[in-house]
Amino acid sequence: MKFVDEYRDADLGRALSGEILSMVEPGRHYKVMEVCGGHTHSIYKYGLDDLLPENVELVHGPGCPVCVMPMGRIDDAIAMAHEDKVIFTCFGDMMRVPGSEKTLTDAKADGADVRMVYSPLDALRIAKQNPEHDIVFLAIGFETTAPSTALTMRRAKAEGITNFFCMCNHVTIVPPLRALLDSPDLRLDGFIGPGHVSTVVGARPFEFIPADYGKPIVVAGFEPLDILASIRMILAQLGAGEAKVENQYKRVVPYEGNPAALKAMAEVFELRPHFEWRGLGFISQSALKLSDSYAEFDAELRYSVPGVRVADPKACQCGEVLKGVIKPWECKVFGTACTPEHAIGTCMVSPEGACAAYYNYGRFSREKVSA
Amino acid sequence: MTGLGPTPSCDHLEGCITCGDEAVEMRVLKIDAERDLALCGLRDGEGTPEGEGRSTVEIALVQPVAEGDVLLVHAGTAIAHAATEGVMA
Repeated sequence: MKFVDEYRDADLGRALSGEILSMVEPGRHYKVMEVCGGHTHSIYKYGLDDLLPENVELVHGPGCPVCVMPMGRIDDAIAMAHEDKVIFTCFGDMMRVPGSEKTLTDAKADGADVRMVYSPLDALRIAKQNPEHDIVFLAIGFETTAPSTALTMRRAKAEGITNFFCMCNHVTIVPPLRALLDSPDLRLDGFIGPGHVSTVVGARPFEFIPADYGKPIVVAGFEPLDILASIRMILAQLGAGEAKVENQYKRVVPYEGNPAALKAMAEVFELRPHFEWRGLGFISQSALKLSDSYAEFDAELRYSVPGVRVADPKACQCGEVLKGVIKPWECKVFGTACTPEHAIGTCMVSPEGACAAYYNYGRFSREKVSA
Repeated sequence: MTGLGPTPSCDHLEGCITCGDEAVEMRVLKIDAERDLALCGLRDGEGTPEGEGRSTVEIALVQPVAEGDVLLVHAGTAIAHAATEGVMA
């Protein structure tokens, strides 16, 4: 396929792999975090870690929005789904995320009307088709997805829809990155920056990483050669003793982002004072809620929910995986009690989650190496 | 979005493109300028069965848009124009 095949060329991939090998200093260990779950998925799908020298370690970050959702929020969503005359809508992955007692799929089996949608616009369409019901849309995602919700809320308001409500779980990328950089658990050399988040926010918001922490970050695309080229760019910066923001994904990402998307988000959302992230705890100003001018659409104001903080299962080590402190296979329940079919932790639910990505693709090469 | 083609996937192995940080390239087939919506198909959809992979897409964030343009679509919303030539740093 044109414009895709060029970024999956095996010869170019091997050449980049050779360049990377020639750039690393023997005896030095390089720890690079890919922030985005989409990158994690590509790395395992294409076996990119097998193309890297042993001393270049990829650490999987908290960039999968499903994986960072705490259990208490799932319980709140399930409580809304069981409300009278509610049709609860969400993206597919969210239906399988475990709450403290069950998933949204279980709630559907118990009689709640839970429906999977591909976009907020789909949920709004259901609202128009079912005026006698209240439609709740569980909004989730980083700044890539938030504009989509913002446009739909604008549309609902403009069209005078009164039976459409949003449970907003949108999160922002910069505060967790800062939290990770402040964490004593983790010493990182550089970051592969999120590609599609950056189409919206641009590359400028990441300037604090080199400025305040002296680390390089390269905004990267999602094809195998994009990721390898970005690693090469990070190593080049490290080799030259530099730290700056670079944009490998120029074919899509403008340095200043998408002003229309940022404007829509600013109109519809406002920052929450704090929000709980699985594995990272409460982070200030790291999530969005509907602004006062859209309060009539706020599901959390319409329904009373438990709002209880629920501790993760003891056996689950998603927190350490999300912080990059341990690898997925180092979790006690990985691949045994916790599998994609019966997930205990959120990292095993979403295909962008490090555990699911590794379970689906990576374990085979690891088994091969250990054999 | 309408249509249940291969574009919006919640397939377990391929990943959920709507809740992950991924977007897909789609070609604009028809524009509803009044409502800022467009009917889009797969970028290289020649030979695809009629209707397969087609979706209604919000285009307010990437105006101006013309039929034939290739857009990067995430969760039913176009967030960028896709490049027509490859750029790799």
